[in-house]
Amino acid sequence: MSFITAENIKFSYDEENKNVLDGVSLKIEKGDFVALLGHNGCGKSTMAKMLNAMLLPDEGTIVIENMSTKDEELTFEIRRTVGLVLQNPDNQLVASVIEEDVAFGPENLGVEPSEIRKRVDEALKAVDMYEYRTHAPHKLSGGQKQRVAIAGILAMQPSCVVFDEPTAMLDPNGREEVMKTIHTLKSRGITVVLITHYMNEAVQADRVVVMDSGKILTEGTPKEVFSQVNLLKKHSLDVPQATELAYKLIGVGLRYTEMPLTAEECVSFLEGVLR
Amino acid sequence: MIRDITLGQFVPGKGIIHRMDPRVKILLLIAFIVFIFCTFNFVSLGVCAAAVLFVIFLSDVPFKLYLKSLKVIILIIIITSILNIFYGSGTPIFELGFLKITLSGIYRAIFVSVRIICLILISSCLTFTTSPTDLTDAIERLMKPLKVFHIKVHEIAMMMTIALRFVPTLLEETDKIMSAQKARGADMESGGIIKKIKAMTPVLIPLFVSAFRRAYELAMAMECRCYRGGNGRTRMKILHMKPLDFGCVGFAAALLAGIIVCNLILPAVI
Repeated sequence: MSFITAENIKFSYDEENKNVLDGVSLKIEKGDFVALLGHNGCGKSTMAKMLNAMLLPDEGTIVIENMSTKDEELTFEIRRTVGLVLQNPDNQLVASVIEEDVAFGPENLGVEPSEIRKRVDEALKAVDMYEYRTHAPHKLSGGQKQRVAIAGILAMQPSCVVFDEPTAMLDPNGREEVMKTIHTLKSRGITVVLITHYMNEAVQADRVVVMDSGKILTEGTPKEVFSQVNLLKKHSLDVPQATELAYKLIGVGLRYTEMPLTAEECVSFLEGVLR
Repeated sequence: MIRDITLGQFVPGKGIIHRMDPRVKILLLIAFIVFIFCTFNFVSLGVCAAAVLFVIFLSDVPFKLYLKSLKVIILIIIITSILNIFYGSGTPIFELGFLKITLSGIYRAIFVSVRIICLILISSCLTFTTSPTDLTDAIERLMKPLKVFHIKVHEIAMMMTIALRFVPTLLEETDKIMSAQKARGADMESGGIIKKIKAMTPVLIPLFVSAFRRAYELAMAMECRCYRGGNGRTRMKILHMKPLDFGCVGFAAALLAGIIVCNLILPAVI
């Protein structure tokens, strides 16, 4: 049994509208780093909310570590297991002191005060925000706020964290900070689901799932997915810039062995071509 | 700019009053307000005023700030003392038509203004030395017994916390919206008060819409973090009464005793 198993999920926000999710099946293993791609309105944010029982599917089932999201008694256990980090860092912070905000989750779970203190310190150190613990959130940069929001989820000791476009409202520095934190989580054995429309972020994942109008278009390793440039283009989805360049060069008759995904790979690709 | 405004005018510091348990501070403030209205002669009033000055001296907050807080209410002090001068009974010292000033009226005016000044100084001392979070925290804990009357103490405290958290965020947003509207030619500076208030409409509407959107998102984020009201919730910070707090309670008790003794020995003047 996989860590997360979603089977044939169908969902619509109201009855007249067409399904936002139209038969999505997804399996995520423990410790995986999965990127979920797709353009606006393809249902990826809806899918994120399905994974921690914020929304329940109309049809199909989602099972997380043998817990079905439909079982209302397990809702809070599921939300503790699968943390969700949202897009706007400002609207996720509850308290006006950083450490109090991070303590919010464990406080809700009824954890012992001394244990909360320990978890808060640990979580803040994990996201590299420990020295800011007594600051006010509105004095921090966007990237720092988002890291505090991640710490708030970490303090609940989840085994999986779902990120719903965590970098969409950040500047390039903030984006880099958050991606670094995501890698830290992964190295600690936490399963990561990253929803994004930045291709260079998706490339860093172990597995990429592409969604389009409520269905899964294709999935696989970043190499496998981004090699299908034609398919992605047909659904007006981007590919990483390096891949785009290589694709255009191939279009004018270059031979290639492997599609480059990052700038470095692209450089060696071009070197290989020019030699 | 606008985002530098802090609520509750907390002044960070490490003085004795800063280190006190906020619950004790609130309770002692209430006690002191009662004390100051139990002073019936000049000596007991003087004892109270001296106690206030002593607390201010201990508070590790520049005295200038206290003067600033008094400046706001100076008009109220003047008006109430003038009214009180004419309010007294007994033989008039000075008469002007139906207005007459008596000795007891003058005493009354002095008492009222000293009491108001003491009140403002001591409550400023509370807000200067206690951070807003500590204040809401203390209020939540102090109001806990009210749960018996089905008052939603936790919910009230949560609302206060969130309100405090979002004051700077919304101020910043107001700033942004105002700049955006000005950039499109909105005129917010000229004209009389009515015109200025009307000019605020294009600022307030987007602000409200966005506040509701924030509220929706925040509610979702809170649910994601397993929030389900006050039941079964624990707190990270536990407030402990320290020897310092007992000392302060002792100080307040001594003050009360002093006032009672003064009231008993010396004749009341009002």
